[in-house]
Amino acid sequence: MVDWASLLQSLANGILIAGLYAAVTLGLTLVLGVMGIVNFAHGELIMLGAYSSFWLFTLLGIDPLLSLALSGVLLFFIGTGIYRFTIRPIMKDPPLNQLLLTLGLSIFFQNLAMILWKTDSRTIITSYSGMSLDLGIIHFGLTRMITFLISVVLTVLLVVFLSKTKPGRAMQAVSENNTASWLIGINVEKTYLLAFGVAAALAGAAGALVSTVMYTFPMVGFKLSLKAFCILVIGGLGNIPGTLFGSLILGITESFVGTYIPEGSGWAEGISFVLLIVILIIKPTGLAGTRRE
Amino acid sequence: MNRLISGKSFIVLIVLAVVLIFFYPRVMDSYFLHLTIAIFLAMILASSWDILARTGQVSVGQAGLFGIGAYASALLYQWIHLPPVLGILAGGILAVILAVGIGYLTLRLRGIYFSITTIAFAEALAVIWLMIPDITGGAMGVSTPPLFGGNRILAYYLILAILALVIMTVWLIEKSRLNFAFTAIRQNEDVANVMGINPTRYKVLAFMISAFFTGLAGGFYSHYNTYIIPYEVFGLNVSIACLVMPIFGGLYTILGPVIGTILVKVIEEFLRVTVPYGHQIAYGLILVVVVLFMPDGLIGLWKKRIKPLFLKKSSVG
Amino acid sequence: MNDKILLSVNGLSKHFGGLAAVQNVSFSIRQGEIVSLIGPNGAGKTTVFNLLSGVFSPSAGTINLDGEDITGKRPFEVCQKGVGRTFQIMQPFPQMTVLENIITSSLFGRVPKISLSQAEEEAVELCKLVGLGDKQNTFPRNLTTPGQKRIEIARALAVKPKLLLLDEVMSGLTPTETIEAIKLVRSLRDKGTTVFLIEHVMKVVMGISDRVIVVHHGEKIAEGTCAEVANDPRVIKAYLGEHAEDTEESMC
Repeated sequence: MVDWASLLQSLANGILIAGLYAAVTLGLTLVLGVMGIVNFAHGELIMLGAYSSFWLFTLLGIDPLLSLALSGVLLFFIGTGIYRFTIRPIMKDPPLNQLLLTLGLSIFFQNLAMILWKTDSRTIITSYSGMSLDLGIIHFGLTRMITFLISVVLTVLLVVFLSKTKPGRAMQAVSENNTASWLIGINVEKTYLLAFGVAAALAGAAGALVSTVMYTFPMVGFKLSLKAFCILVIGGLGNIPGTLFGSLILGITESFVGTYIPEGSGWAEGISFVLLIVILIIKPTGLAGTRRE
Repeated sequence: MNRLISGKSFIVLIVLAVVLIFFYPRVMDSYFLHLTIAIFLAMILASSWDILARTGQVSVGQAGLFGIGAYASALLYQWIHLPPVLGILAGGILAVILAVGIGYLTLRLRGIYFSITTIAFAEALAVIWLMIPDITGGAMGVSTPPLFGGNRILAYYLILAILALVIMTVWLIEKSRLNFAFTAIRQNEDVANVMGINPTRYKVLAFMISAFFTGLAGGFYSHYNTYIIPYEVFGLNVSIACLVMPIFGGLYTILGPVIGTILVKVIEEFLRVTVPYGHQIAYGLILVVVVLFMPDGLIGLWKKRIKPLFLKKSSVG
Repeated sequence: MNDKILLSVNGLSKHFGGLAAVQNVSFSIRQGEIVSLIGPNGAGKTTVFNLLSGVFSPSAGTINLDGEDITGKRPFEVCQKGVGRTFQIMQPFPQMTVLENIITSSLFGRVPKISLSQAEEEAVELCKLVGLGDKQNTFPRNLTTPGQKRIEIARALAVKPKLLLLDEVMSGLTPTETIEAIKLVRSLRDKGTTVFLIEHVMKVVMGISDRVIVVHHGEKIAEGTCAEVANDPRVIKAYLGEHAEDTEESMC
């Protein structure tokens, strides 16, 4: 006999967390698609967004789901700064250099956070933190639900931005073929700058979401970025629908493992690694292949 | 090919060996001896990482091998009282076995995909370690009695011996056909294949050699430190340390990892007394600075900028 | 030149997705021959080379080298059985000197058990043979295109091939360089190497080949001496019909 309630609950939880994972991965996908770079420091941008949200809440009392935009804007500027001073010089370097540079940035920011804010885990408790919505037999944590909805909004905003605005369409063009884009007059350099900034803003917003449903600590970005890599590999690199698909796969799998396997919540942490390793071994360029090679 | 080693270098080596073996341990006080041991340990990690990197396999997951070495040694002592020196050796061997597995599985992965997968392996090991605490001791870790009963000088000699072994291995590789195979694979694996080089054989071989020494280092660490926990030995810190030092010093050289390690460790030691955590911030800065300003590391900088200054002077004067 | 068959290719095909890059190609090459592979752009010539050198594995068909079936063998195995090749887009090892590039091939080719010093001696000889004697310690990026082509050839020779695959080595050479290159190829044949060339430069093809194989759209459409092939109506149609610009050189 199938315990439908349990199954549906598990599925619901998986979908909710998938929303967060998608928000986390979107920025990484954007940079990879437009610039062809795997930004190892993406997780740290999320982490900074989480801390930004935490401090805005703790010091100024602003609800994280409202200060989200502020965190996004802050990270936009941080992102463009990072691009201008460290990424732009190495855009034409071999991928190894790009890996090492973004890895260096990642380590730098992780440790900077440790120095500034120590290694303690922070939580945000709002007035509605423990509440849940009940839809029939399924309980949705209220915060998680709002986080999911905001993630959906972020995704829609990104898609609209990419397809309906001039800079967004420029990004799409550059992601397909940057030489051709340059030839038709697109300022590729500015497009890269903007793409990196937007990706950082998305990371900042995702970080704000993270701060509401998870602990905020210096390594939180690293842990999430590993999941993001997994999602990239599942869903295809530089590809938004793929990111959503990959997020769902990861989120739901983690949730099922958590529910049905003994001590599953511990093992669920390893799901992203297992998926990533298995997929890359079977298909070394990821499931959906690559958009940029 | 003339002599195996030039006359000048040979003398330097002899002097160095005499100093390190006879004078150093007697002269240095306990703290500096401890620091030296830590530096030697790091040098072993750096040199072994460099061996693997010579085939173009940039591992960001050496912690997996280090941790396996550490735990193999510690657990074997706990279960069957295997003497530490043998335990350390076992650590090296088990790391090799793991590396063969990972090496074969990741053969077709290039560039970043390989690196990301190595991170995934290390993290996956950490998760497994935490989930089967009955076998591994879980998050509480494992203790071992102090190495050589706490005799730091003996520990120093052991780590010096292992370091000498690594350096000699790298030197032998550089003098052999392996050097050509590794370098060719690194610079263009597909073309190397067409030129008769079996990429599988050499990539896995490099992994095995690298893993052996990384595992030895792990085993040593577990007995020297007397206590290990998964977060520490399987942690990203270890993997990052393995790569920052050779990159800073100069990749694909013998001296690069050595010099890089000394400098990085000295910087880290300064930071360690300044801030309670976060001293690896120096690692991050170093990586960024190296990639932006000195991609060939310190040795490359020396060759390109500083050495020519000396040559110029001598031709004028 | 004797009648022993060195290379025998039967029903060779390679499909990528739905596209047939090479379709049912069969031919043989005898020991000591110089054979040219020609055809309009995109005809599948480099794919044939990639199949012969093991870079691609065939979708169908067999490849037999010196009596041994090498179908589906990996590139390094094929190399060690005696196939050396150059690449149309030159790919010397960028951070190795010219000499080191060639030593690498010497060490891992058909006779891999030689010592480092022996490999170095052989590499120096090969450098001189292809005219790079004074450029041994130069890096490939500091050489001109013809210079890099010479590295390719020297590297291919260093594996001591029974069968040498030359992919468009003559294009972009001055007339003097072309004559030298032709002399080099002939001397290689005299020393016992069988040569299979992809070429666009018709003068070279006609001047040097014992036989010519023509491919078009992945299929072999003609084979024979250069006179036979030049007068073959299918060949004329293939060149004139689709790619008029390839016939700037008159054929025979």
